[in-house]
Amino acid sequence: MANLSVERQPKPGSQRIIKVASYALLVLGALLSILPFLWMISTSLKPAELVFSTPPRWIPNPVEWENYTTVLSKVNFAKYGFNTLKITLIVTFGQLLTCSLAGYAFARLRFPGRDVLFVGYLATMMIPFQVMLIPNFITIRRLGLVDSHLGLVLPQLTSAFGVFLLRQFFLSFPSELEDAAKLDGCNPLQTFYLIILPLSKPILATLAVMTFQNIWNDFLWPLVMLSSEPKRTLAVGLSYLIGQYSTDWQILMAGSVLTVLPIILLFFIAQKSFVESIKLSGLKG
Amino acid sequence: MQSTQAKALDRTKPVYKQKKYNRSEVIWGYLFIAPSLIILLVFNFYPVLSGLGISLTSWNMLSDPKFIGLDNYSRMISDPIVPKIAWNTVYYTFLSVPLNVIFSLGLAMALNQRIRGISIFRTAYYLPVVSASVAVSMIWMWILAENGILNYALNSIGISPVSWLGDPKIALTSITLVNVWKNLGFNILIFLAALQDVPPELKDAAKVDGANNVGIFKHVTLPMISPAILFTTMMGIIGSFQAFDLVYNMTFRHEGGPARSTSVIGFYIWQNAFRYSKMGYAAALAYALFILIMILTLLQWRARRYWVFGEE
Repeated sequence: MANLSVERQPKPGSQRIIKVASYALLVLGALLSILPFLWMISTSLKPAELVFSTPPRWIPNPVEWENYTTVLSKVNFAKYGFNTLKITLIVTFGQLLTCSLAGYAFARLRFPGRDVLFVGYLATMMIPFQVMLIPNFITIRRLGLVDSHLGLVLPQLTSAFGVFLLRQFFLSFPSELEDAAKLDGCNPLQTFYLIILPLSKPILATLAVMTFQNIWNDFLWPLVMLSSEPKRTLAVGLSYLIGQYSTDWQILMAGSVLTVLPIILLFFIAQKSFVESIKLSGLKG
Repeated sequence: MQSTQAKALDRTKPVYKQKKYNRSEVIWGYLFIAPSLIILLVFNFYPVLSGLGISLTSWNMLSDPKFIGLDNYSRMISDPIVPKIAWNTVYYTFLSVPLNVIFSLGLAMALNQRIRGISIFRTAYYLPVVSASVAVSMIWMWILAENGILNYALNSIGISPVSWLGDPKIALTSITLVNVWKNLGFNILIFLAALQDVPPELKDAAKVDGANNVGIFKHVTLPMISPAILFTTMMGIIGSFQAFDLVYNMTFRHEGGPARSTSVIGFYIWQNAFRYSKMGYAAALAYALFILIMILTLLQWRARRYWVFGEE
């Protein structure tokens, strides 16, 4: 490192200061980011009488797993987890399907009104969620689907941003690929399914990760949609937990760990797609 | 077979000059977009119209909506809570957005110093971003509790305990800072990508011309990453104006915060619609928010040419 900076920098002294300061700043920032999570985990493993102990103890001793069994059985978090997983998977799969089909049509097929429609898609990205909240609630109510997972899922089965993202990606494909498929007698659906999709795995993974995270963590829409207890998602269930266990922090923290952990695991597994998804969301601008 | 070959020959013409559509391609095109278009029409386009319609009614969802013209909008002006809500929203937004941009830019610049362990830092900063806002609320409610660890730490250096979420003067600031904490990692990655795109030749050239670090930052780096600053600011403002999750959860005990001190407009819309069953008034508030966001976005978009590089 040192010789690198000597090569490029005329003033190695000040460069060194910058580097040391950078590390200091980064470590401080990382600690600030991570410590609250460690405190959450630590609290979630403490017996009730140790939660408020002074001085606060970071290492729980004895370790109390009971908190997790309480949350999983008494408060039904196992059920909430299952609901969340089901909803998230359906929406993610639905978005991949509808967005890739539409994205392909907007990128590759020619039909009247295509460009106007696409501008319309882009325009919907500007609508604040709160504007759609009440009308969509009423639409779902008219359909008799309030307090059902179907009603929760329905409006989310596509996303204008997803269509936009995939369209941009498909535009970069050389058209020879499809011409060859056409000559072989493929119709657009076959071309899409056999040629285009297999080549689009990275971008599909990115969209999947983005959607999965958003839906898993989603709060306001499930909050207004789901009124009966067994249908709740983890985020909504966790929110109701404060009412029941207002100062039982060990229980609340156990619930938080269960809500956060799956996404963090996914993040570690698919870190590349996550990082890519943020850079791509820069496209929105 | 022959006809396909003829079509292939047609491709020699520039695509935009081909006026005639291929019938089967047109049908496939509509079939492909149909699923997403239907959902978008019903759940994105239609709400913009029906929301406007609902905002002109008085409606508690039990009886039929009653048309009342612009009454909801004039009520907004006389509603004593609205100025409070508006101020809270503005405070929340214009505290969290600049703080977020400054902190995340600083950390991104530090990360850009050819640092070891960059992926560890990136992971650390990104944990709050991927975590559910409800869980983040819980974690911070516990840290900020009156007998929580932050007050303990402050107490040990002689500062008396603070009611971070219970004191009307402080609660909104606490929530705003948690919001900054949660979203920092997103902007760090956006800025890091932008910083990595700054051509090193430009910096070298500036150095040859005798520029110091501050000069390089001001005259090379900052202009080059200005599009990223525009993007993060715009997204930040749009997002903050719609804030709900943290406010709802962190001031759960007194809905909307002690003395309404943390009620922002996103929260007040929800409250009117789903607590007070005032659908019409809530829809009108949502529309006002919509117009406000559009104006702000437009202003920023207009102003970009004065400070964003590459925008004439």
